[in-house]
Amino acid sequence: MTIAVAYKWAPEAQEASVDAAGRVDFSRAKDKISDYDAVAIQVGRRLADATGQALVGVTVSGPQAGQPVATKAALARGLDSVLVLAEEGLDRIGPSATASLLAGLVRQLDDVSLVLAGDSSTDVGARMTATLLAGRLGWACLTDVEQLDWSGSDWSITRTQTWGVETFKVTGPAVLALSPTAAAVKAPGMKDILAAGKKPVRPVALTDLGLERPDQGETRATARLTGPSRQGVVIDVSDPDAAAAVLVAALRQSGLLVEGSQE
Amino acid sequence: MSFELTDEQLITRDAVRQFADSTVAPIAAEIDRDHRAPLENLPAMAELGLLGMTVPEELGGSGSGTVSYVIAVEELARRCASHAVIVEAHSSLCCWPIVAFGNPEQHQAYLPDLAGGAKIGAFCLTEPGAGTDAASLTSSARRDGDQWVLNGQKVFITNGGFADVFVVFARTDPEAPSAKGISAFIVDRQTAGLTVGDPERKLGIRGSSTTPVSFSDLRLPATSLLGREGQGFAIAMRTLDGGRTGIAAQALGIAQGAYETAVAYAKERIQFGRPIANLQAIQWMIADMATDLEAGRLLCYQAADLEERHLDFAIQASMAKLFCAPMSVRVASSAIQVLGGVGYTESYPVERAYRDAKITEIYEGTNEVQRLVISKSQLR
Repeated sequence: MTIAVAYKWAPEAQEASVDAAGRVDFSRAKDKISDYDAVAIQVGRRLADATGQALVGVTVSGPQAGQPVATKAALARGLDSVLVLAEEGLDRIGPSATASLLAGLVRQLDDVSLVLAGDSSTDVGARMTATLLAGRLGWACLTDVEQLDWSGSDWSITRTQTWGVETFKVTGPAVLALSPTAAAVKAPGMKDILAAGKKPVRPVALTDLGLERPDQGETRATARLTGPSRQGVVIDVSDPDAAAAVLVAALRQSGLLVEGSQE
Repeated sequence: MSFELTDEQLITRDAVRQFADSTVAPIAAEIDRDHRAPLENLPAMAELGLLGMTVPEELGGSGSGTVSYVIAVEELARRCASHAVIVEAHSSLCCWPIVAFGNPEQHQAYLPDLAGGAKIGAFCLTEPGAGTDAASLTSSARRDGDQWVLNGQKVFITNGGFADVFVVFARTDPEAPSAKGISAFIVDRQTAGLTVGDPERKLGIRGSSTTPVSFSDLRLPATSLLGREGQGFAIAMRTLDGGRTGIAAQALGIAQGAYETAVAYAKERIQFGRPIANLQAIQWMIADMATDLEAGRLLCYQAADLEERHLDFAIQASMAKLFCAPMSVRVASSAIQVLGGVGYTESYPVERAYRDAKITEIYEGTNEVQRLVISKSQLR
């Protein structure tokens, strides 16, 4: 049995910059394992150890995802091996095409019991890939998974929604997108980093999967949201009552507080 | 010629940076303020493998290599110099001489526990009357049957407050010329006759434990001798060669952290209607700091790379330390200057960096000793 983890070698969001027009620029951001997917790998490692399964990473992206530093970074986090589809242009395809290719990789594996993924990615943040992947595979899917354990006969899943806590039992194969709160991600250990170079990496080509190059190119542009700008009002809070009155007056003046609304 | 780090070195940098950002940085100011060692972080540092990087894999370490090791020290120091020096004293000054000069029995007895963090190490060379002139040390070890009897006083022992294993240098032959009559020993903390004094209150690296350690008729089995009798001074000097690369890395990390704070501040601080980063006075300071860091990093990594490849590295280690230590003080000072008044307060970590940087000009060989070592190699 195998637990697969779909991960992304993605630009570090904290190294992105925003230009004057509000466009997000990742060109100077260094690639790394997406923080969301690091959660999935760590949870996967725990479950694989608990159930005696192999933990295999699958990823689809441009050639940079196939470089040794990228695969070793993933393997150092606890994967036993990785399947990598890394070809020119695949870092610019959208979530639907990515899900199709990930499904192709998952089908290359024997006896997969679960596919885990991060809830999102640090660059695109579409939060769709896991759901679309489940659709391609015809498997069950849950997102926002906070807790995941093997009971001996099924997967026990917990997630928190705005209306309360939900629990699920899943027996068949499923795709689960893990909440960032599902694990406090630890840095890979020094021994894990050295061991990563000895683990198997299996490059896979589109032709191996019998798939065509997706023509689902995607052009993304971002722009600053229009909305209220800073008014630069500084309120002296030494007298709290007077400060509250000044704040209310400022909010009324800006139109954010109207007569009849609760103050 | 390649200036590229390997995949493993790059991943080590990211891993230790993640750890330093998430676990070290949140307590760095507090341990500095309270003059206390971050004992709560030692298990996590051990789990990450930071305490076994200079120990081979077969003895419980990771055998990560010297370049990865200095990268780890640098990344820790970027957030907290005290965490860095705890690792440095443990790894470079205690684990390393046991690896290099210990016999197989000593390897098995000490290294798995040290590498795994079950025990912490320290290095006892300096005495009240023997600092830079280490060969004049007066601690003594006298043979008594199949035992050694150790007496003496050591000072400024990093990790002294909580270390379990001490590499101790003592005079075993009072008749031999000063450096020749010194031997090294491995001493367990619980040995009767070992006393650890009160920690020093210091200008910087306040989260590291710096204590006196004294020995009063402390009895050691003959098997405690590290290396050969009379080889102690050579062991100490060879150990300090490697330690100097570690201190250069510590200085580099302190400077890097201060520099990053200065750059971020310069981009955000508005004066005269624009970020101060637009002012040439600030730009020139940033340029000088960046250049200093680049030069220091090249020297430090070069020394580490030579050591990793088992080539002569002692002079390069001295050069790396001689450049990086004052560079760290200089960069931290410039960072305070960029921040202005708030840089002088505890609101930002640059004042701590400035205090922490100063010690790198002093310990494991002062700037002056490094000049002595370097000039001697050039003029022979």
